[in-house]
Amino acid sequence: MAQAIGIITANYSTQNSSMLTDVRPAASLPYAGRYRLIDFPMSNLVNCGVRTVGVVMPYNYRSIIDHIGSGKDWSLDRKNGGLFILPGSAFGSTREGSRFLLRDIDFNRLFLDRATEPYVIVSSSNVIFNMDYDPLIDCHASTGADITIVTRKATCDDPNLSSAWIEDGRVKGMHRGAKYGEDEFLDTFIIKREVLLKALDWYAAVSHLDLFEALAQDFDKVNVMDYQFNGYAASIFTTQGYFRHSMELLDPKIAEELFPEGRPVMTKAHDTPPAKYETGSRVRNSLVSAGSRISGSITGSILGRGVRVERGATVRNSLIGQGVVIESGAIIENAIVDRNNFIPAGTELRGTPEAVLVKEKSPERH
Amino acid sequence: MSKEKCIAMLLAGGQGSRLGALTRNIAKPAVSFGGKYRIIDFALSNCANSGIDTVGVLTQYRPYVLHSYIGTGEAWNLDERGAGVSILPPYATETGGAWYEGTADAVYQNIGYIEGYKPDYVLILSGDQLYRMDYHKMLENHIRHNADLTVSVMPVPWEEASRFGIITQDDDEKILKFTEKPKKPDSNLASMGIYIFNTDLLIEKLKEDHNDPQSEHDFGNNIIPKLLSEGRRLYTFEFNGFWRDVGTIASFHETSMELLGEKPEFDLYAKDFPIMSNASTRPPHYVGPEGDIDDSLVGNGCRVFGSVKHSVLSTDSYVGPRATVVDSILLPGAKVKEGARVVRAILGENSTVEENVTLGSVDVTKDTAVIGDDVVVGKGEE
Repeated sequence: MAQAIGIITANYSTQNSSMLTDVRPAASLPYAGRYRLIDFPMSNLVNCGVRTVGVVMPYNYRSIIDHIGSGKDWSLDRKNGGLFILPGSAFGSTREGSRFLLRDIDFNRLFLDRATEPYVIVSSSNVIFNMDYDPLIDCHASTGADITIVTRKATCDDPNLSSAWIEDGRVKGMHRGAKYGEDEFLDTFIIKREVLLKALDWYAAVSHLDLFEALAQDFDKVNVMDYQFNGYAASIFTTQGYFRHSMELLDPKIAEELFPEGRPVMTKAHDTPPAKYETGSRVRNSLVSAGSRISGSITGSILGRGVRVERGATVRNSLIGQGVVIESGAIIENAIVDRNNFIPAGTELRGTPEAVLVKEKSPERH
Repeated sequence: MSKEKCIAMLLAGGQGSRLGALTRNIAKPAVSFGGKYRIIDFALSNCANSGIDTVGVLTQYRPYVLHSYIGTGEAWNLDERGAGVSILPPYATETGGAWYEGTADAVYQNIGYIEGYKPDYVLILSGDQLYRMDYHKMLENHIRHNADLTVSVMPVPWEEASRFGIITQDDDEKILKFTEKPKKPDSNLASMGIYIFNTDLLIEKLKEDHNDPQSEHDFGNNIIPKLLSEGRRLYTFEFNGFWRDVGTIASFHETSMELLGEKPEFDLYAKDFPIMSNASTRPPHYVGPEGDIDDSLVGNGCRVFGSVKHSVLSTDSYVGPRATVVDSILLPGAKVKEGARVVRAILGENSTVEENVTLGSVDVTKDTAVIGDDVVVGKGEE
């Protein structure tokens, strides 16, 4: 059993509001066809033996609860420990860059008090990666740091990311935005449980701040170190980023890094039959989820569960949500078609690679 | 229906020896089928969809995979408090122990289990058949006729009737005659091996049968003829849907292929009667830039870089670049490597066909090629 408990802050939306996150918290955004963003931090914790996980909920938590339920699919429906649904503080935060609001953690102090494990691994649900946390826990324990943050060398310039200023192995500060090659913060850190409880007291007066904002003046007193992650990671903060990173999964090497043997990504189980290809279908370079029925043509796209692409329909470079029906002759290109949409025969939905078209979620069809 | 009114006894102990290499290491009900299922899913889903929440699963032959797959039954919503799935292997008593010697003996040895639930009715099922049936309708029929035993039957083509246990009935569905594999059948209604008994009568007859040294302890051969000869109230329940016993390699292959096409008779996608399974959560399957899939079922986790035609690819199977798979079934984790050609074959779980190997033949007069679980077929071994 791991020496850590986990907290996932599922109560932050992406910064740029979009039709995708107007209807659901970012944690429930579909990803890689059948998954949702929260599956990745949940699975990382469970795969390294963490069996006590608290998930801080946003106000619109229906889709998250629907998805994670009792935690059964992550082996978190347990007599001891297991999944804890933690309330977020009244208003959560949509403030830019805040993902570990002290108030949210303080509100659930009892969860920390009751644990006996010495460490807490905290992560948001906006950054997707598949990481073995064991070396992180070992590293944190052996250096004796108060906090160890997970970083990687930024692969591009991006004002939406956060990065760390590191000197002699110590984190001296954190700031918004990351430039290529800087130490990008992957929204994941491990902290001594006692230190986290103390920090809640130290910063009680500024509990509206993010933990790292509160620490800003104290990096010389609090020993914060970093742990470099060398694998694939995707930070989902904008619709364009969501689209671009989703499409990266069509590279089998990246898919293998995100879904390696031995560290399965767990998600809610469904009784969905295999996908079915009819005669005349033509599918190239695509990810297709179970329950889909395909008679048309699909290139460079990712399909959620139970999608129907009828004969003569064409889908190119697009993300198609669960349960979407695309009728004969329809053409979809450079688009995100959110779940349950019905695309009538002959319709054309076209975006450009630079500006993808987003077709918002449609009510359930029966 | 009150909770314990009808419980099911699901016979899942058979080896299924006619499935050859596919059942070398696992029992027939645990054999993979239809891309993501195992054969027992169909009977367990039928129970769940019929509101029968107490199921005793009788196991015997190579049970590990079957036992771990069934688990608590939660995958079929059968983990009910005070009910649920119980795995019933042969066991020892103070006077020793014995293997299950036939279908009736297997149930006989678990009379104690049945009595523990005090059901009014016991449904006897096989764990190796593919069909959708609402057992509750069969039970209603049983009650309506005030029957002692109801046998589920289906019409079969006359020319095939002599392969089955054939039932002759009157206009009111009352069974007049039951003949195992008749040479000259006078009816084309075949028994499906699905029975509903009144509990008290079942227990009484099983005890009698146990003490009969002449008996083979089989429901079809011994119990039913006995009841008929005693003039008991035996009725039929007619079923007219898709039903297959995938008992042989040929029927396993044929039935798998029947899932393909535009409107298959057995619709895996029917939402009102879902086939549930204890599947692992795997990513969507990937079709590569040169991949080509036609008229096929493809499970999660598959990677397809070659050409697949009229085939079933189960979870996590792999078809390499320039490989061809035609009229074949890849069971979970099977790999067809680069340039290999597989035609009319069944590849067992985690088996491998090495690069550029050709396996199987389009010649339908030849047997379907079968590769056992974990077997690697290299060059010169095809």
